Amino acid sequence: MPLSFRMMLIAIIQVILTAIFTYTFVTDEYRTLSQQNLATLEKFLIEQKQQELRNYTSLGLAAIDNETHNSLTQKQADTLVVELTQKLLYGEDGYFFVYDNKGNNIALPKDLERQGENFWDFENSKGEKTIQILTNNAINGGGFHRYEWLQPSTNTTTEKLSYSLYHDDWKWMLGTGVYLDSVNQQLENVKGQIDKHVNRTKRIILFIALSSIFAIFMFGLVVSLSQKKQSDDKITELGQRVIIAQEEQSRHISRELHDGIVQILISVKYALEATGLSINRSKIDKPKPLVDAEHNLETAITEIRRISHHLHPRILDELGLSDAIEALSVEFSERTGIAVVVHKMTLRKLLPDDISTTLYRVVQESLINIDKHAQAHHVEIHLSMVDNWLTLGVKDDGIGFDTQAVQGNKDAGIGLRNLAERVEYHLGLFMIKSKPGKGSSIIAKIPRSAFANHFNRNENSHDANTDKLS
Amino acid sequence: MLEPQIKVMLIDDHPMVQDGLIACFSYYDDIIVVGRCNDGSTALAEAQLCRPDVILMDISMPGMNGIEATEIITEQLKDTKVLIFSMHDNAEFVTNAIQAGASGYILKNTSSTEVYQAIKEISLGRPYFSSALAKVLATNPVQHKNERLTNREQVILSHIARGKSSKEVASILDISSRTVEAHRRNIKAKLHLDSLAELVRYAVDHGLIDMDLE
Repeated sequence: MPLSFRMMLIAIIQVILTAIFTYTFVTDEYRTLSQQNLATLEKFLIEQKQQELRNYTSLGLAAIDNETHNSLTQKQADTLVVELTQKLLYGEDGYFFVYDNKGNNIALPKDLERQGENFWDFENSKGEKTIQILTNNAINGGGFHRYEWLQPSTNTTTEKLSYSLYHDDWKWMLGTGVYLDSVNQQLENVKGQIDKHVNRTKRIILFIALSSIFAIFMFGLVVSLSQKKQSDDKITELGQRVIIAQEEQSRHISRELHDGIVQILISVKYALEATGLSINRSKIDKPKPLVDAEHNLETAITEIRRISHHLHPRILDELGLSDAIEALSVEFSERTGIAVVVHKMTLRKLLPDDISTTLYRVVQESLINIDKHAQAHHVEIHLSMVDNWLTLGVKDDGIGFDTQAVQGNKDAGIGLRNLAERVEYHLGLFMIKSKPGKGSSIIAKIPRSAFANHFNRNENSHDANTDKLS
Repeated sequence: MLEPQIKVMLIDDHPMVQDGLIACFSYYDDIIVVGRCNDGSTALAEAQLCRPDVILMDISMPGMNGIEATEIITEQLKDTKVLIFSMHDNAEFVTNAIQAGASGYILKNTSSTEVYQAIKEISLGRPYFSSALAKVLATNPVQHKNERLTNREQVILSHIARGKSSKEVASILDISSRTVEAHRRNIKAKLHLDSLAELVRYAVDHGLIDMDLE
């Protein structure tokens, strides 16, 4: 696994862990905080209600106290308080209830059916005797009680908070209460909103985590692609350097053979000839071993020259690309019988050694391919300046080929791809044009900027040589 | 011994080859080696000193090669004939040598007898080519319609294209203005160009000189 992928994986895992941690931590904090808030809110709401109830009850008691005076009998007072409570209604479920100290109901204005019943032993679901508690609270100077009672507006039993006071003259327990469904509703609303917040936070964290992972992935992709491109470029360049080094070595060995060993052999040859001439003077026939030696020497020279030429054509160095191509073509025609016409440049030695060697190899490879596959009769080689490009074209009238298929085929295309890479290394362009049945042409172009003024630089280095020698 | 001797100069970067040849020539009375030289670039100065009738010139040498040296020597020393003496047997070498002004071409693996004959022929003003080259020349006849510039002409063209006058070029190359003028005419004829502006443009277009450097 490449390094960049491992790094990417680590980064993604980190993002996921961070997201999970943040989510649990934030939501936990949120819930604790909101539960505290809810409790506070509930307490506050209840306190608010209690204050209200205390005020209402005092008000109710004062109003009733004001209407009932001492001249009335107990019965008259009871009747009056029923009437009064009928008027003292407030809100949807707000009413005053009145009981005597034995739990007999006197006034229950919203539930007239049960008005007048005795509730002394009435128990709620928790087993509390509601009216006894309320009465006790009242006798002890007033107090609150939370219990369950029938809510008139909904006709269901709900939680109710009541405050009760005691009227000493008429022995009445008088109170009023609120149903707590509104408070609960409010708390539920708040809880719902908190949950909504938590959900939103969850979504935000999820979104951030996903987009981070996506960003990391894209980044990793870009990095790995550019790394691949870079390493590909490096490999290509390295390959070209190897080829250049190889060509340089071949040139060197070729020169050593041709200018070193062959010249020594030639000097030996003339030494042998001098010996022969000397013997001749003495009117003696040349001895056979001497004749054989001269012959063998000839063979050795031819053989070494052949090897030297195979390694690197010296003509390329001495006369330049045009003449080297011409010589190559003549050799090719003699060997294969395929006619080759070469259109040379009028100028010579414009190219640095590595470029002219590359173009020479293009021609060499193209001719080999033509001989092997093309079944051509004529080949035309052009070397010319077209616009700002030195353009080499090798064109044949053979059977042609499907360029797509050849380039797609790994083995068949490798020679051509190598040529293309060599040409492109010198900032050049390489093109193959062919169609089955229509011949083929190979075009290599080198930009003028790659060789401009080379001829003069080379000439000046001659002069520098001259200076050194003279 | 009344016969005048032919003065020969050897230009070859291998003293051993020169020694071998001199050993052979010592058996011929009408040839005398008057000078020897190891490379093309010092050949002219040496030739101007010893004034040979015939120069035996190698092609592959470090620095200036034999063909470029031939051009300069035949340009400067009208009475000296150049006989190329090389390992290279391609028709292109022969063509280039002739274009450079060589009077003959023999291969280094020819016998000393043939070398002697070649020198004699050349000294009499007749061209001579190795018998081994006959086949090469027969299939690739030397074309006189060849309109490629020689190395020397290219040097002169690049000076002209840089704005140098014939006089300036003459002084740089240490030759006469008339010689430069002659080259100039040849260059124009070969390139089918008339004006200086066209010459400059041609040189720039072909990357012979680089305008950006001027």
